[in-house]
Amino acid sequence: MENAVLVGLSRQIALHRELEVVANNIANLNTTGFKSDGSVFEEFLMPAARASGFQGPDRRLSYVQDRATWHNLNPGTIQQTGNPLDVAIDGDAFLVVQTARGERYTRNGSLQINAQGELVTTAGDRVLGDNGPIQFQATDHSISINADGTITVREGANTTSDSARGKLRLVRFERVQQLQKDGSSMFAAPNGVAPLAAAANVRVLQGSIEQSNVRGVVEMARMIEVTRTYTQIASLLQQANDQRRSAIEKLAEVPA
Amino acid sequence: MRALHTAATGMMAQELSVQVISNNIANMRTTGYKRQRAEFQDLLYEHVSRIGTQTSTQGNILPVGIDLGGGVRTVGTPRIMTQGTLLPTGNEFDVAIRGDGLFKILLPDGTFAYTRDGSFQMDAQGRIVTPKGNVVQPGITIPPNSTSITINAQGQVSAQVAGQTTPQVLGQLTLTRFVNKAGLQPIGDNLFVETPASGPPQDGTPNTDGYGDLQQGNLEQANVEAVTEISDLIAAQRAYEMNAKVITASDQMLSATAQMMR
Repeated sequence: MENAVLVGLSRQIALHRELEVVANNIANLNTTGFKSDGSVFEEFLMPAARASGFQGPDRRLSYVQDRATWHNLNPGTIQQTGNPLDVAIDGDAFLVVQTARGERYTRNGSLQINAQGELVTTAGDRVLGDNGPIQFQATDHSISINADGTITVREGANTTSDSARGKLRLVRFERVQQLQKDGSSMFAAPNGVAPLAAAANVRVLQGSIEQSNVRGVVEMARMIEVTRTYTQIASLLQQANDQRRSAIEKLAEVPA
Repeated sequence: MRALHTAATGMMAQELSVQVISNNIANMRTTGYKRQRAEFQDLLYEHVSRIGTQTSTQGNILPVGIDLGGGVRTVGTPRIMTQGTLLPTGNEFDVAIRGDGLFKILLPDGTFAYTRDGSFQMDAQGRIVTPKGNVVQPGITIPPNSTSITINAQGQVSAQVAGQTTPQVLGQLTLTRFVNKAGLQPIGDNLFVETPASGPPQDGTPNTDGYGDLQQGNLEQANVEAVTEISDLIAAQRAYEMNAKVITASDQMLSATAQMMR
């Protein structure tokens, strides 16, 4: 008898988690390079309580549990900013960022130069090129980033020829779902997952950033679905509770 | 319920975004103003079930995990230091920079500030000053009775002094560059000051080494584009509303829970 309540409860807990995922997506509606998350649920089968005195086939109860969240790695809209240090990646690739916790991977190409002249993310972590961090000199100007990620500058009074400052390291992963979100728009690779060099057709677009790939309408629809389902289950639990109460009342009536 | 707090971080972020946009729009006609952009990142994740956890003694591992995010945070409001368009004014003390450098200004407290705003004036002593009366570095004094002051692309200031046939060279304006211009700290009045993030100032002559040349009789307009700002404003406002809806939804779920026990 109590199983209806427990099955409903399992769904409510899963819905709570799903709403948290939706809330995080909506909170990051305008976060550069953010990739939205989805939830995956699975049926969790339990053998029925055999000790109960009910007759009938030995049914199995199916509970629900949230098994995983997955990353939606669809590209976000490319927004032109005109800022020479903004890069968007067109294709399946990540920028490599050097943090205190190790290498991290990001699609957020809103880059800056720090006081030492190194190319960094907005949070101040170094962006890696093929040969380590990318270093600019104090006299560099007119920074240009080519489609393949090569960074060239005009040095000092030189107005005719470019000087190379390195090439952005672009990587891809065989199974991107193995990446783990690490906050600050970055992904971490679990142990044993090594990045591969990105395909040759990946392009870097200077003067643009990739917006969040969260679609407001989809998330709103998911949220409505979550709240409605939650309310329905709440009323179902209410009914189960009423049923039980009336059973107790009826059964406990002592015949006069 | 964590969704409530997550949505709250979203609302705070969008509020800040609107604040940055409104400042950009307010300064649309400010000489030498450089627009800012609010930059966001996602907050830390709670790894409810971690990818790669062993699920059996046979060495089966979880291929995907459950990561619950905690919302969004503002990581910075970087300044976009692109060149603004030059507006011809015809005023001989209006100077625009076409390139990377900034003018160096002496503040009353003896420290230096830097600006892209070249709408200068002459004070009672004949010095070239900002509209607030701070001396443009290096201090150049224009002798009385001088006419037709010219500032050339290299920053050389010369004037026709009464009683002389050739223009007299009065001094040389310098420009200052920083490795990380976006790291300068704004102090209002179109002025910036040096910070550890900007790197030390490097003085140089205009029109050399990429310092940018000077254009007399022009002013650099703000690099704010109305269309971009308005579309950003719409995006921020809608995102704010959606976050508010998440709060309503969380509230409905909580109230459904509360009503289960009658």
